[in-house]
Amino acid sequence: MTAESTSIPLPPANAKESIICCEYCPVACGYKVYTWDLGTQGGPAAADNALGVDFPTELLSGRWISETMHTTTIVDGELKNVIVVPDGDIEVVNVGGTHSVRGGALAKKLYNPNGLTNDRFLYPMLRVQGNLVPISWEAAIDLVARLSQYTLDNFDELAWGMKIYSYQFYENVYAASKLAFGDIGTPNYSPHHAPAEGDDVPGLSDCGIDAFSAAFEDDKEADVLFISGSDPYETKTVRFTTWQQPGGAKIIYVDPRKTFTAAYAEANGGIHLQLMPGTDTCLYNAISREIITQGWEDAEFIAANAASRTELDGEGSWRRQMFGLSFNEYRDFLFSNDDFTLQGAESETGVPADKIRAAAEMMTGGTGPRPKATILFEKGVYWSHNYENTASIGSMAVLIGSSGQPGRAISRMGGHQRGGQKAAGYPMDKSPHEYKGNKVEMDTERWFAEGKTRFRWIVGTNWIGAMGASRALAAAAERLTSVGPPVTSTDPDLAYAALTERMDNGGTVIVHQEIYENDSTPFADIILAAGAWGEDNYARNNAERRLRLYEKIADPPGEAKSDWEIFAAVGKAMGFAGYDWADTNEIFEEAAPRSSGGRRDYVALVEKAQADGVRGHDLLRTFGTKGLQTPISLEGGEFVETVRQHADFTFKSNSGKANFVLSDWEAVKERNAILGPVDDELWVTNGRVNALWNNLSDFTRRRISQDRWPMNFLEISPNDATARNIVSGDLLSIESDNVLDQLGNKTKGGFTAVAYVSDIVPDGVTYSYFLYPKQPANSVTPGDSNLQPINLRYNFKLGKGRIKKIGTTELTETMSFAPRNLVPG
Amino acid sequence: MPNMTRREFVYLGAATGAVLAAGAALPLAILTRDAEGNAVGAAVFFPEKRVASLGDLEIGVPVMFDYPFEGQASMLVKLGEQVPNGIGPDGDVVAFSRICTHMGCELTGYQAEHQVLGPCPCHFSTFDLIHGGQVVLGQATQSLPQIMISLDGETINANAVVGLVYGYADTLDEGVNA
Ligand code: SF4
Ligand code: FES
Repeated sequence: MTAESTSIPLPPANAKESIICCEYCPVACGYKVYTWDLGTQGGPAAADNALGVDFPTELLSGRWISETMHTTTIVDGELKNVIVVPDGDIEVVNVGGTHSVRGGALAKKLYNPNGLTNDRFLYPMLRVQGNLVPISWEAAIDLVARLSQYTLDNFDELAWGMKIYSYQFYENVYAASKLAFGDIGTPNYSPHHAPAEGDDVPGLSDCGIDAFSAAFEDDKEADVLFISGSDPYETKTVRFTTWQQPGGAKIIYVDPRKTFTAAYAEANGGIHLQLMPGTDTCLYNAISREIITQGWEDAEFIAANAASRTELDGEGSWRRQMFGLSFNEYRDFLFSNDDFTLQGAESETGVPADKIRAAAEMMTGGTGPRPKATILFEKGVYWSHNYENTASIGSMAVLIGSSGQPGRAISRMGGHQRGGQKAAGYPMDKSPHEYKGNKVEMDTERWFAEGKTRFRWIVGTNWIGAMGASRALAAAAERLTSVGPPVTSTDPDLAYAALTERMDNGGTVIVHQEIYENDSTPFADIILAAGAWGEDNYARNNAERRLRLYEKIADPPGEAKSDWEIFAAVGKAMGFAGYDWADTNEIFEEAAPRSSGGRRDYVALVEKAQADGVRGHDLLRTFGTKGLQTPISLEGGEFVETVRQHADFTFKSNSGKANFVLSDWEAVKERNAILGPVDDELWVTNGRVNALWNNLSDFTRRRISQDRWPMNFLEISPNDATARNIVSGDLLSIESDNVLDQLGNKTKGGFTAVAYVSDIVPDGVTYSYFLYPKQPANSVTPGDSNLQPINLRYNFKLGKGRIKKIGTTELTETMSFAPRNLVPG
Repeated sequence: MPNMTRREFVYLGAATGAVLAAGAALPLAILTRDAEGNAVGAAVFFPEKRVASLGDLEIGVPVMFDYPFEGQASMLVKLGEQVPNGIGPDGDVVAFSRICTHMGCELTGYQAEHQVLGPCPCHFSTFDLIHGGQVVLGQATQSLPQIMISLDGETINANAVVGLVYGYADTLDEGVNA
């Protein structure tokens, strides 16, 4: 019998209360944190506990404390009790204090010296003769600054690279980009999820539509939700359980997998369009063509809001010049390719023609009244064929007038929260990469693999595992960090001499700023021990642009420092001005003007705070977990928030009109021919699952998620499993000899996983977790950004491999292999 | 033994070994919390309650009961497959709380084909009864509390709950409802 806790300590009435939002998905549910001394407890009567609720709590109270909501952590130097519980009073986002399995265990994220999180990096380290050994912060900052300066003096700014999360709070991203763009001026900078900076949904942006224009209430208001490339129940949970499902919209769900949401859609009057990987562009264009064929487009919206040829000719950007279409041109484009007929699309995508037609009718109401249709999408769309998929889904929204109106919108659902407040613009003129004579953001991974990056600073990401062709990238990292003499002493001068000699010999120095060891750590020369969520005061937006304060609730462990402090220290050591911030509030206030005119615009907040003589963070704190929906402005001393963007039918284009955009399906087909499985290979696509989050730095240290997913898994269909003599619980190898790496060469990739035989996946398609430590699904996904030259993205979803049983595991005894797509009957 | 209070549990604890009319309380080594919130081993005492008769069980057909308090929906089922903690000649009889560990809704639908309980009507959590009530998919942050059962001849008794039941700060403390 497993020993289980049968009780939870209650916070006493005088426990300290703080506000925070969830660290994980872009819904960003609101939470409250209670901190109190060890050795004291509250009681079950409402008056005797800080939650002010009687225990046992009522059904759906939003105020129960599960075991996973409690921990002990260090606060102001002392070990304290902490609970992180959903905010039971919240009226937005996670109304009434609901939560997902991920957020419901946020407390377990915190550093607990006696718990599973006690292996945090506690101090900076230097690799000396192969081992990471502690050094002082003074020495670490000095080394990073001098190595950076050496790179700039002896090579150029393109040889100095930074790879960093795009989301980990305004204040940290601002400080990092001030250094990288503002002072060093390098284009060798890329986010955690892509080889290059730049827009993840360029096709939608070229339509003139903001990627996060909708509000969660649009999901509830809609009659029809067209959801593609993201399972909202699994990965944007509270958006589904609080906004989508209770709203009762019929769901058209587009996914090669029959996930929970697919099954739910079908059981509730919706449609599952189960396309084969890589065929989204054809499917969306076929739906759009059918809509036009039937005359179901929103002619009024198009007449009023779609750009004419003349207006398109006035567009400034090369992409819109190249791909922007008027309605007539768009119609002609759709009718010029027989793959976009219902039959043609059926044979290209695998989706039956009658379902494509039914989707077109459901979205538009056919000959009946027009329903409110909202289109939502995420990585299944843009990590497949990025430009073409986002252009075709965006154009479909323009066609049916789904933008800027209650229940009628198109939006990304988001992968993570929105914290990318940059300090300066990307230096595009310095990028070495082009598309047809037009500058595009630099592919930093190609540059690295070519050996042109001499110094690389990896911040808060499992860089290697997160990039395509990850095994080839690891080999490049191994090669480039093995050049030259090893560091043999902690003496900063000797270390500096060895590392600069490596640079001179064509090698690369890697600095890794992290909270835990991960698959990229073996390549690090210097470790900078970082703080994390809840260890400083920070601000961030969610997927409906809701800006909230995330209060500091605990100390960074050991000597770890907040990321911004580290960037500031290096900036100062390099002699740059403007890094004298005393705290994150000073950065928050300094960053405000950079948000002006964008979806994060919070200038009004800081202006009012300064006029009232209060701090920006403190004013934001007064809005609690509700926060403010940006962009915001001030009218008569009151904030005016933006529920949804484009409500005045002004779009983000030179003309202010919305555009149709060309999506080159023939180019996509050529790419699919290169990327698709051959011989006995199957598609090996990947993504998230409900109980896990991203690189699992928290989730491999959480019992519930480790019980559920003790290793990476591969969903395989019953037919494909039988053909390979595979049953659930078998250990599999997934290998391909045909993975295009960062330089466009064919390389080998592979990983292992436990078999999960399931009809979630169709024959020919398998599915794995995208970033499981030591079992990297990205080792069989392409790392060649030349495949998508318009904006240098990876086709992360289009991996492939041979699947073979290599043994058995004992996991069937402890891990459930039950179906994960059961819905109420 | 309907609606036991904290005091009665304490009394039963004091009377360990004595055979009471309603059955004996079994001391159980289990984790609870000390004043500092650390999980520590301790003996806690649960009531014994007769919940079913072995001969009446059919594979896949659940028997519903409340335990340890009235209103704490639970169920017992013969899974048809031997599992750890399963009792009976086939080692396949188990019992679980039916109160969803996400936000407390009552789980009703046992799906014999998959040996799962759920999806929960509120937010669709589904629990695997051959794997100790593990969350198959869903928002609950812990497995379903398992009810430890024992066999006395043909009689199946419930003896303890392993895990924290939704709503409670202490599975054995009726709190303000006491
Ligand atoms: S739905 Fe997303 S934001 Fe909300 S608790 Fe879960 S992971 Fe956190
Ligand atoms: S109460 Fe059961 S899933 Fe939420």
